[in-house]
Amino acid sequence: MQYQSQAVAKPYFIAAIVLFVAQILFGLVMGLQYVWGDFLFPEIPFNVARMVHTNTLIVWLLFGFMGAAYYLVPEEAETELHAPWLARLMFWVFLVAAGLTVAGYLLVPYATLAELTMNDLLPTMGREFLEQPTIIKIGIVIVALAFLFNIGMTVLKGRKTVVSLVLLLGLLGLAVFFLFAFYVPDNLVLDKYYWWWVVHLWVEGVWELILGAILAFVLIKITGVDREVIEKWLYVIIAMTLITGIIGTGHHYYWIGTPHYWQWWGSIFSAMEPIPFFMMTVYAFNMVNRRRRNHPNKPATLWALGTAVMAFLGAGVWGFLHTLAPINYYTHGTQITAAHGHMAFYGAYVMIVLTIISYAMPILRGRTAANSNKSQVLEMWSFWLMTVSMVFITLFLTGAGILQAYLQRVSDAPQSFMVVQDQIALFYWLRELAGVVFLIGLVVYIASFFVGSSDPEATVEAQV
Amino acid sequence: MPVSEPDTAAPGQNLAVAAEVLYLANLLLLPGLAFVALLVLYYRNIRTAAGLPACHLRQTLSASLWAGALLVVANLSIVLLGGYHSAHTWMVVIIYFTTCHSTLVLLGVLGLAKAMAGQCYRYPLVGRPL
Repeated sequence: MQYQSQAVAKPYFIAAIVLFVAQILFGLVMGLQYVWGDFLFPEIPFNVARMVHTNTLIVWLLFGFMGAAYYLVPEEAETELHAPWLARLMFWVFLVAAGLTVAGYLLVPYATLAELTMNDLLPTMGREFLEQPTIIKIGIVIVALAFLFNIGMTVLKGRKTVVSLVLLLGLLGLAVFFLFAFYVPDNLVLDKYYWWWVVHLWVEGVWELILGAILAFVLIKITGVDREVIEKWLYVIIAMTLITGIIGTGHHYYWIGTPHYWQWWGSIFSAMEPIPFFMMTVYAFNMVNRRRRNHPNKPATLWALGTAVMAFLGAGVWGFLHTLAPINYYTHGTQITAAHGHMAFYGAYVMIVLTIISYAMPILRGRTAANSNKSQVLEMWSFWLMTVSMVFITLFLTGAGILQAYLQRVSDAPQSFMVVQDQIALFYWLRELAGVVFLIGLVVYIASFFVGSSDPEATVEAQV
Repeated sequence: MPVSEPDTAAPGQNLAVAAEVLYLANLLLLPGLAFVALLVLYYRNIRTAAGLPACHLRQTLSASLWAGALLVVANLSIVLLGGYHSAHTWMVVIIYFTTCHSTLVLLGVLGLAKAMAGQCYRYPLVGRPL
């Protein structure tokens, strides 16, 4: 570890992994509820399992991004973190807030939670992904501001690199767009319109900047390719991300009561959204092919390349599949959306957080650069188990979604929602099976932190 | 006028990159037209090209021909055999096309990255033996 203050990243990464486990467990619960409707009812109703599944995902990714920033910014800026104590304090504030939120979802009915947290003073609850009580949202803003202050001051006092500036821009955007979680107009169209400013402009906008910056940092470290080359790619990728992603928000505005022109704007710009992901894949493989050194941390390279490929497939290809307005007319809100959501989140954001954890954790745990061979083999097994099972989850949900769209909306004799759900139950069972394999992959991933931890560090067999 | 190579580029690297770009363009932007351009590039250069460019020209032509068969012929067969008005036909066609097309694109991305790094590349299954 080059700077002592980078150590603050470690608890963030650990919390991220713990919440990742919770997310997958609740995913399996609701996956089963699709086919076994009263499973764990009334203890964990479907809507609660879904809230926990999606909210823990968002929170653990935020923990991952914060850990990544605390790890990479001191190294990029070539200086210690501005206030490591603040980072530690905010870690506990954020963790307690996340814990209280999940406990609230599980222990009391949602309406009671709204009452207990005085939602009526500033109503923000009840919207998908932003279900957190208002008081928790305010806590998130405080954590985000303290975090931005800490990272911003570190960047300001040290070396300014493209990687740290792009990361800072992404994190700033993340904080700014979250503020729209507090704007809840009475008009339902306006409500949904601005809700997408949080949801879409996060995952198809500023989060991609964070992804690009973390990927660039890891590629610089593991390949030894000149920083200038990687930075030029990064500039072009983030430019394409913003050019396509911002107006691409329109693909959410097709059927919510907004003007007709959004069907054109949304279709054209979001059809171009795969371009930055395509470029990211070419760039990641090109950098690894042109590497100047063999890094002993093989799983980090695997995660980095996997991020590029899976993000292209999940966000790019599966996004394109249903982004054009005439197609979306039939597929809107079907399991095709779920298929896209699963692979895109896994490919773009889960994998990039696991990439930086894979690169940084051995160093944070006292290694020079990499874990032992045994640990690395296990981690690479977890990569393949999780990634292949996610591919199957996506394919099963896609199959379910196509049948759903056809039987419910395209057919000359459309069937009702629940009748169709019964007909696609086989796909839900197969998805659940793939989900179990994913959980096994996650267990193997966690085991890789403990197995072979006393063995000697892996070395590079041959230099390029 | 021949395209000048940068100092660090391997001999024929631009030609190799052009072949990979046309393979990808055939799949993504200009199906058919880009394939014709690839054919022209192939027949104009294959006799004089050696090493890196010859490898990429041969691989991309072979992979493009396979891509045509896998995407056009196989999909038409599925629709003809399964029937146009069947939900299951459309499920199979869409999943098959999406996975097959994405795989072919990803192979092209790997080929392009190899060409840009001045290395030869054999397309798995759809490429010619080196």
